[in-house]
Amino acid sequence: MKLSDIAQVIRTKNAGPRRLTLDIMFGSDADYRRVAQSPALGAANIGRLYRVPAEQVTIIPYPVGRAIKIVMARAMMAGDPGDVDVYGAQQHAPLLGIEI
Amino acid sequence: MSASGRVLAELAHRQRPIRLLGASGQLGYGIPARSFGAGLERRPDLIGCDMGSIDIGPTYLGKGEMATSPEATRRDLRRVLRAARDLDVPLVIGSAGSAGAAPHLDATLDLLREIGRTDGRRFRMATMRADIPRGALLDAIGSGHVTSFDGMPDLTREEVTEAANIVGQMGMGPFRRALAADVDVIVAGRACDTAIFASLPALLGFPIGLAMHMAKIIECGSLCCVPGGRDPILATLDADGFVLESMNPDRRATPTSVAAHSLYEQSDPFTMHEPDGTLDLTHAHYEAVDDRRTRVSGAAWRDTTSPTLKLEGARKIGERAVLLCGSADPRFIAQCKDLLPKVAEVVRDLVCEDLPMDYTLRFRVYGIDGVRMVAPDDEPSPGEVFIMAECIAPTRERASEVVRSCKQFLLHHGYPGRLSTAGNVAFPFTPPEVSLGPAYRFNIYHLLRVDDPDALFPVEIEDV
Repeated sequence: MKLSDIAQVIRTKNAGPRRLTLDIMFGSDADYRRVAQSPALGAANIGRLYRVPAEQVTIIPYPVGRAIKIVMARAMMAGDPGDVDVYGAQQHAPLLGIEI
Repeated sequence: MSASGRVLAELAHRQRPIRLLGASGQLGYGIPARSFGAGLERRPDLIGCDMGSIDIGPTYLGKGEMATSPEATRRDLRRVLRAARDLDVPLVIGSAGSAGAAPHLDATLDLLREIGRTDGRRFRMATMRADIPRGALLDAIGSGHVTSFDGMPDLTREEVTEAANIVGQMGMGPFRRALAADVDVIVAGRACDTAIFASLPALLGFPIGLAMHMAKIIECGSLCCVPGGRDPILATLDADGFVLESMNPDRRATPTSVAAHSLYEQSDPFTMHEPDGTLDLTHAHYEAVDDRRTRVSGAAWRDTTSPTLKLEGARKIGERAVLLCGSADPRFIAQCKDLLPKVAEVVRDLVCEDLPMDYTLRFRVYGIDGVRMVAPDDEPSPGEVFIMAECIAPTRERASEVVRSCKQFLLHHGYPGRLSTAGNVAFPFTPPEVSLGPAYRFNIYHLLRVDDPDALFPVEIEDV
């Protein structure tokens, strides 16, 4: 089952101009637990998908919001020359096809 | 007596919950009239608006211009000013004019004075500038009071000198002083969003953790609801918690949707650092009051022992021009990642014949990797692509010269297997070269340790 089949929200945005945060939100506690436990949402796999060393990926489970937050440094500061996404709002595509 | 004096006196005298209306996140893009009217019917004790952010990129801070259009900004300011004056409650605006530096704040104040004149409204207005004097900042670097975070390089004296505008995010102190000075309207330069809404409750002795948590949510309007949106939101705060209710009846603040709002644009949903202290949401509790209102409790607050301000600054890096075109030739598209650097070399040989290489020229190919920071190599070629060539050069003329040369040589560039020898690209209009004005980048994003943050943000009062 793909993450896009089970998650209610899959989004990215800047958290300050130097960090990118990915939020994945679920419609039920069961869905949340199932994905939160999956290694597919671990730092190693996320680091591989986003070409960032695993040590630089922070995974924060947020059960009260039925969500998983992932944080990593942006390759370049928001708005720097060569930036492709000033707000960081369209970087979630690599997450959609993750197999759970 | 002015609005803030009246509200402070009333709430100090009668212990009751305080009502705060989050009228708009990013003021200046329009406030839905019906839900705003519903908010006013609830007789809030304060109307607050967040008017700026660093999230919008460096150009507005660098250039000294607002992100919002003058007309929409004027309309929004008139709406909230009228409402606040009719109810005789304080109007509090933070991060004025999109980026909160002097030009942004002054433009906002001019609009408010103009509205006062044309509407025949008189009011007492407090203003707090957020600009950090260069001299003070250079001294602070010298004494080791400026630190980097989030991997930003250390702040140099040169960057301070070159920054077009430098602001510090003020906390609650300046707002508390403004409220206590008995005014009708408070307009601050760059400020923490929380200070806009937490300062009045803090002044009245409400628990600061609850006030801060409430402020963090309502500064975004009804984004914490499902479905989320920009409608105004009402918070009712008492000594043990606060209730959230969107003023649009179709939006529901549910325990999960409100809890999830702590994720929005934050790198940590549990701990948030403010200039005045730290907000701890580890034990925050969200409970449904009914199917569209939620009560929140449990936030904790720790005062800081070492006040720290977040500094923001932007510097000009050149003038920007772009070339806009597309291709529908499969062979060109298949090879474009190899072709475009070659076109850039041809352009360089032409425009640098008697001038140095004083510009950058980048290509973005939408349809392949124009949007994604990380794009796979193995996707099937699209039928069409949009190509934007972007030049940043020391002058407008130089940037324009580069993209014009680029256009001609991209159009006629020969490559292996080429069939479409009449031209490689399609222009949506001509001229397809567009000058976009000055380009900026953030060059200051650092922490300033200060003994007395309030001294940096004096309150000025005028009668409009």
